[in-house]
Amino acid sequence: MEEPPSSAAQTAPGTENGPSDPSKQQQSEQQENHENPPKPNPNATPGARSQIPRRDRFNHQSLGPSLNSTVKQARVLMVGAGGIGCELLKNLVLSGFGEIHIVDLDTIDLSNLNRQFLFRQEHIKKSKALVAKDAAQKFNPNVQIVAHHANIKDAHFTVSWFRDFKLVFNALDNLEARRHVNKMCLAADIPLIESGTTGFNGQVQVIKKGVTACYDCTPKETPKSFPVCTIRSTPSQPIHCIVWGKSYLLNEMFGTSEDQSVLDHSQDQENGKSMLISWEGKLTGTNQFIAHEIEELKKESDALKKIRNAVGAPDFPKLLFEKVFDADIERLRSVEDMWKSKRAPEPLKYEKLLAKTNELEGSKDSILADGQKVWSLEENLVVFKDSLERLSKRIIELKKTKDDAAPDPVIVFDKDDDDTLDFVASSANIRSTIFGIERKSRFDIKQMAGNIIPAIATTNAIVAGLCVLQSYKVLKGDYSQAKEVFLTPFGSARLMAPDRAREPSADCPVCGVFNATVTVDPAQTTLNDIVEGLLRTHLGFGEKEFVLNNEVGVLYDPDETENLPKKLVDLGIKDGSFLTVVDEDDEQPWVNVVLNIEEGALPENEKFKSSTSAQPAIPQKPKKVPQVEVNGHSAGESNGIVKIDSQPKGVKRQHTEDGGQPLKKAKTGGASSDDVIIVEDAGGAIIIGDD
Amino acid sequence: MTEILVQTPPVLQGPSEKERKYDRQLRLWAASGQAALESSNILLLNSGSGTVGVETLKNLVLPGIGSFTIADDAIVHDEDLGVNFFLDESSKGKSRAQCCTDFLVELNPEVNGSWWPKSSDDQRLEQLFEATQTPFTMILYSLPIQPERLSILQEYSRQHQTPLVAVHSAGFYSYFSVNLHGAFPIVDTHPDDTATADLRLLSPWPALLDFTKEMTRDIDNLDNHLHGHLPLVVILLYYLDLWKQGHDGAYPANYSEKVAFRNAVSDAMRRDIPEGGEENFEEAVAAVMKHVVPPQLPSSLKQVFDYQPSGSDDTKSSFWIIAEAVKQFYNRHGVLPVSGGLPDMKAQSEVYIKLQNLYKDKARQDAQEVLAIVRGIAGGKDIDTAEVELFCTNARFIKLVNPAEGRTVDLAQAVEQQLANDEIAALAGPEMPLTLIPIYLALTATSHQGVATAEQILASIQDRVPAAAGNERVQKAAEEVARATGGELHNTSAVMGGMVAQEMIKIITKQYIPIENTCIFDGIESRCQVLRL
Repeated sequence: MEEPPSSAAQTAPGTENGPSDPSKQQQSEQQENHENPPKPNPNATPGARSQIPRRDRFNHQSLGPSLNSTVKQARVLMVGAGGIGCELLKNLVLSGFGEIHIVDLDTIDLSNLNRQFLFRQEHIKKSKALVAKDAAQKFNPNVQIVAHHANIKDAHFTVSWFRDFKLVFNALDNLEARRHVNKMCLAADIPLIESGTTGFNGQVQVIKKGVTACYDCTPKETPKSFPVCTIRSTPSQPIHCIVWGKSYLLNEMFGTSEDQSVLDHSQDQENGKSMLISWEGKLTGTNQFIAHEIEELKKESDALKKIRNAVGAPDFPKLLFEKVFDADIERLRSVEDMWKSKRAPEPLKYEKLLAKTNELEGSKDSILADGQKVWSLEENLVVFKDSLERLSKRIIELKKTKDDAAPDPVIVFDKDDDDTLDFVASSANIRSTIFGIERKSRFDIKQMAGNIIPAIATTNAIVAGLCVLQSYKVLKGDYSQAKEVFLTPFGSARLMAPDRAREPSADCPVCGVFNATVTVDPAQTTLNDIVEGLLRTHLGFGEKEFVLNNEVGVLYDPDETENLPKKLVDLGIKDGSFLTVVDEDDEQPWVNVVLNIEEGALPENEKFKSSTSAQPAIPQKPKKVPQVEVNGHSAGESNGIVKIDSQPKGVKRQHTEDGGQPLKKAKTGGASSDDVIIVEDAGGAIIIGDD
Repeated sequence: MTEILVQTPPVLQGPSEKERKYDRQLRLWAASGQAALESSNILLLNSGSGTVGVETLKNLVLPGIGSFTIADDAIVHDEDLGVNFFLDESSKGKSRAQCCTDFLVELNPEVNGSWWPKSSDDQRLEQLFEATQTPFTMILYSLPIQPERLSILQEYSRQHQTPLVAVHSAGFYSYFSVNLHGAFPIVDTHPDDTATADLRLLSPWPALLDFTKEMTRDIDNLDNHLHGHLPLVVILLYYLDLWKQGHDGAYPANYSEKVAFRNAVSDAMRRDIPEGGEENFEEAVAAVMKHVVPPQLPSSLKQVFDYQPSGSDDTKSSFWIIAEAVKQFYNRHGVLPVSGGLPDMKAQSEVYIKLQNLYKDKARQDAQEVLAIVRGIAGGKDIDTAEVELFCTNARFIKLVNPAEGRTVDLAQAVEQQLANDEIAALAGPEMPLTLIPIYLALTATSHQGVATAEQILASIQDRVPAAAGNERVQKAAEEVARATGGELHNTSAVMGGMVAQEMIKIITKQYIPIENTCIFDGIESRCQVLRL
């Protein structure tokens, strides 16, 4: 950042030039920014101030007139109105952002109130987006706030809808939605400020297509999963028994049975982590014994379904207990191979245990009230029976009141639903006892089963404030000053660590693509119009071999041509659909082209309209740089999913720094001589700044 | 059974409503921290443009402090509405303290809020302190502030040993500093899980040795299953004993001896088995460097032992009594009480549980001994057993914040050092951040008068730290502060409100380690620096 010439500083707006000369004013404003402020002129300020609303005085002073007016005109989207979202909305409103849209699907829960300060007790179960809007609006009537109580993944939030915003803020709590917004913002080429917190930790990241790394440039932690045999046959930790209670037993009795829930685990996501039960990994040994065990477990599940029919019957708890804690354990124990190197499980006798709980029956409420204590085996049985009764009563009630046409009602695990939590906690603890595993308190089980992430007001306040500070860089287009900030609450020298925004990863499957928007009339436009007209002619694929996919599968490839005459509508392609073009060229394949389909009016005799110019410069896929041979002949190897190191970073940095040439162009010479240069650059830059 | 069900009226079950509301934070500071918060009474002395203090208070009201008072004699103007969220159109012309209090208490019905002054002839701060029934737990004030008010505040805070926090936010710049009035011990520092295990391999107690002897009686003839499930603690104790026999009763002490010992353990692993090696031995080998260490007195705890609390109040506080008892325990045994934790390791379940119980029993026994000593010290009769146990469990991680009470840092010296570091940083490149002390200097030049020209700010810096006034970055900081003309930028104050509240929560709950003692924030670069000033 260069110091502006002092003359520029003195011609700062609001002084002698005044706003009457727009061209001059603009010039001086462009030179000005808050890092290099004009000197205040105490004598001149009162006159200048009178021209701006008094309530905007501090923003005007600190941001400077240019940035302040950009903020006032900005139309921004905030996705998520939870912990970060409430703080962010407050900050946006007071910064004077002109129009703020809020999207949140969630409703308000009691456990939100310790930090989501726009919500009160009386708002519980109401829409977060709507309540947040109402609460914030009254503090700045000049700001227009629009609330959408909806899922950001809904089809009507199309790429063109995103494109109408100047900036998007993510204030989300789950991986899936974050990824979705990331993808949409990249397709719309709208900058995104991504943020997140966990306990005292948090971070903020600026995402701009082609300029900074996107959300998916670094692989995210994969969901935690456990092999089914660990859950069903050989648990060794409390979490194994908790997952058993939550994902197996509760579902078998009150939810959708296991087969379906395994298929449907995308629904189980919270905060990006779900506990999948899969057979993967353990089957690789193709062990006969395991195959046999799978068979046995299937039988057990079938038997459970029969018990499920006894819901509400007086002996239901006894039937269930004797099945899962006695008979099944006996059977498991009899498989001697399994217990050669492990302690064999000890089945429990219902009647015997029940006899010991008689004296506890009266103290049921005090047991339930103490969730911090680790319950004894007997206490767990009391809770098991009690929660089972509560759940049974509920499901019977649900069945009575349901429509005949409606599917059978289910009860699914919810960490804030005490009936399900008590049931999972007690059955997990009983199972732990059987396998000689430590029991846990309900408080701890709630955290483990519900993937609860600690959350506090302070961290959210810090992160939301940082989001807006970063948004100023974005609004000024000053990406070189944009930061990726991590809170480092336990570092004694500094409480946050800002880093230069990372470069995009060239092999990122999400942002390392060429985006184009195509307007079509799905009832008229055919796939052939897309393949021949758009791809081969307009985008310049020419004689290249390529594959065209949608979310479901292949629409077109050189051997798969029968869809060509079909109308797009008949192929399920509609407004908001995404199509991906994969170049099959062996030598110099282009990066994938992602087409965003929009429905709209077309000029007469036109079948489509592309957002791009004719024959745009589509970059080539990055080449794999051989580890040893820096100047290697790798041209033939890079035909698709190659993993490259930091090679293109050097290239990109070079081009962004020399005058803002679009990166795409820089990389698309296509001539083989360019490739050599890229590789040489890589030789020099490969080590620098990569992690 | 369904019959019973129908008869049983629905009862209040599960965690209380309050526990559910605070669930997400209880997972960080637990019931003990929450109780401390709920019994706290906070004073905010608000001045200047008045947002950063209210933002901080918001972040304390939400998690549930007991009560707060806002002292602020400002009247709400249009400017306030543009920067302070807890004011609206209807607030104009009214007391800022009153309006903010009204909005803040809405955030959490469990918190009591009050405001001051109630009338214009009641504006002497002494009157507020005289009228206050329960002493303040902690005081926050925002700058710029009238010097007379500040000295009254400082006097009260010194007299009552009330931790005092100052915060100043102007434009993109801000800083806050914490004055704890003397040494501030923290028992519950929440150390990293991986750091907490204390296996006592070089000072085992008899029961642990007996257990090891029992398990390894015939170690060479154990079947592969049993041999492959010896816990690493047992393996290491067994081979340490062998080592001692070959080394005149001495344990491996230096690095090369430890490497030799590690090799010996590795050599003892059975490899002629289908798996080709044993996981438990691999764990034992990996644990050598970390766990084969003589029991040490960590420097932080030594600081506690060596500390001479001044005044009679301090010596009576339960912390110092327990510290004295643990010190006596240490002098008696040469080791600290066993913490009782045992990390997960490869072992048969029942063996692991036995081992776990050995550590737990020993920890209980040691804590009992400390408790007995505590009871013998004057003032130790009524100390809570749980407090003694917590002290024993966390002994190695106890931290004495601000041990050098009364020793003031020479500002000029600190600044010189920071600026000298910058010269090195300039050579090192962008990886080494430059000091933020210019921001602190420029802001403190406006501690009592928010609006000042850059020249006035530099003149003040010249007076305090002559060496800094000519520095280019100091000049820029002065210009930036001058440009803000005492106005706050909401986002800067929002960030600071989060950071200040976080430090206050650490101090109120006496959990986690608070910063020492000044944090400077640069909102242009989104970074901060912590300095002892």
